[in-house]
Amino acid sequence: MSDRVAVVGVGAVPPRPLSVDRSYRELGFESATRAYGDAGVTHQDIESFISVCEDFHEGTSITDEYTPDQLGAVLQPVHTIAGDGLQGVAAAVMLIRTGIADLVAVEAHCKTSNILTHEQVLAMALDPTYERALRVTPHFVAGMEMRRYLHETGSSEDAVAMVVVKNRRHALGNPVAAYGGILSPDDVLASAAVCEPLRELEISPNSDGAVVLVLASEEAARRTPKPVWIRGVGWASGTPWLAGRSWGQASYAGVAAEMAYRMAGITQPDREIRFAEIDDTYAYKELQHLEAAQLAPRADVTRMVMEGETRRGGRLPVNPSGGSLGMGYCFDATALYRTAEAVRQIRGEAGRAQVAQATTGLVVSWRGIPTQSGGAMVLSAD
Amino acid sequence: MTRKSITNVSQARVWRGTMPVQYLYTAGVAGERFFQTLRRKGVFAVTTCAECQVTYLPPRLYCERCFADLSGAWAEVAPSGRVHTYTVVHEDQDGRPLDPPQVVAFVRIDGTSGGLIGRLLHLRPQDVQVEMPVDAVLAPPRRRRGGMDDITGFAPRRVLPRRRTP
Repeated sequence: MSDRVAVVGVGAVPPRPLSVDRSYRELGFESATRAYGDAGVTHQDIESFISVCEDFHEGTSITDEYTPDQLGAVLQPVHTIAGDGLQGVAAAVMLIRTGIADLVAVEAHCKTSNILTHEQVLAMALDPTYERALRVTPHFVAGMEMRRYLHETGSSEDAVAMVVVKNRRHALGNPVAAYGGILSPDDVLASAAVCEPLRELEISPNSDGAVVLVLASEEAARRTPKPVWIRGVGWASGTPWLAGRSWGQASYAGVAAEMAYRMAGITQPDREIRFAEIDDTYAYKELQHLEAAQLAPRADVTRMVMEGETRRGGRLPVNPSGGSLGMGYCFDATALYRTAEAVRQIRGEAGRAQVAQATTGLVVSWRGIPTQSGGAMVLSAD
Repeated sequence: MTRKSITNVSQARVWRGTMPVQYLYTAGVAGERFFQTLRRKGVFAVTTCAECQVTYLPPRLYCERCFADLSGAWAEVAPSGRVHTYTVVHEDQDGRPLDPPQVVAFVRIDGTSGGLIGRLLHLRPQDVQVEMPVDAVLAPPRRRRGGMDDITGFAPRRVLPRRRTP
């Protein structure tokens, strides 16, 4: 029996800042319908379902119980991962490789517009004993990470601003991206300071959305029209203590990427990876994640970004979809949006956003502040 | 999918909800000792893993690297260190503007592998530098209650010369 696992269906709704006309269940239903149609299967063919969600983001406690109906999963095996989207994908890979199921659906959605006091959710994620006393915006954690990153690497704020310029521009080529635009680095640096050096335009805008992926064993994938192969997947969590973390680098992503590369048999990531869809929740995170995934040496990241190597036409296109900066940030669903966009690239379906020879792509995810959790996945055409 | 679309956002029916859940957290054995030491002596209690050469602040009863039990490996360090990183914060916890902005730092405490988050006091944002030495500014002994609020913040060492903690 083959150990190979493929993404055979992707379905998503365009991320938008508001979705008052539909409930999260309806967003999920639309995404599931699209994903099953894309894979050429019905909900009855899916043998196991995984949702990725988190009670406080939903405003419903024990929220995983609200998963089955909109996925066609009533009285089917279902479980929830309260974590990063790629942890949900990894769980699906395990179900398939252990022979428990041949077709698995992974769902994540985000109805952030429902949350009136979002900062309070993040504030409650901090350690109550040592870390909550300040009562300031939880973005302060990102502001401190960015400062230390710039200090350690010698990177400039211009390079961080250039990530925003690039991703917003990439979004213009993606018909579902809401935040396409032509900006200059000066526009970014002139935007309001939130937690200096972090500025407003360097923070991905919160958006509502829903994504469903269908994963399949090799045997099942051969019966579907457009399989994209998962060559490797990895995930890791660092220490939760702010006092113990590596402020200047994304250690979790380094471990996750190594795990994925090992499984994929990739020994020279900077040569074998042709494009990347990586977490850019905050613009500096894209730089940290590039370094962690061994796609750019620490001393070279700034040059690569400033010289345009990470643009769509460059040597290593990064977030040709526009990333979260260009498409909107969907919390638990973000990693699945990055995955869906990477699948579109490898299939050659990315339209104006298409990268040439996008045969092998890397997805890097992060669970967001204040976490030190993330994942990595290598996707390939064969 | 057939549906009548809502063209006016204010016409969407909404239900309001809050999660009025309340909690009482305990600090545990290590936290209890840290805060009692802070309140009584004005210094920081830490634990050290000799094997890994890691000194935990906040203190922990175990080493996260080698998993050793550190319940007998206590020491105390002076409440001073260096600004490992900092940020100038312009919004409060509800997203409202902070005027003036506050400088928040992670201070690596000397002699430890850890540190504490706190406000930087007695200096302008433009004068802060990564790695600058700072001392903790503690509430007067009688006002300390054994919590993070006992640490008012951190101030540059040159402005507040190090002195024996009362």
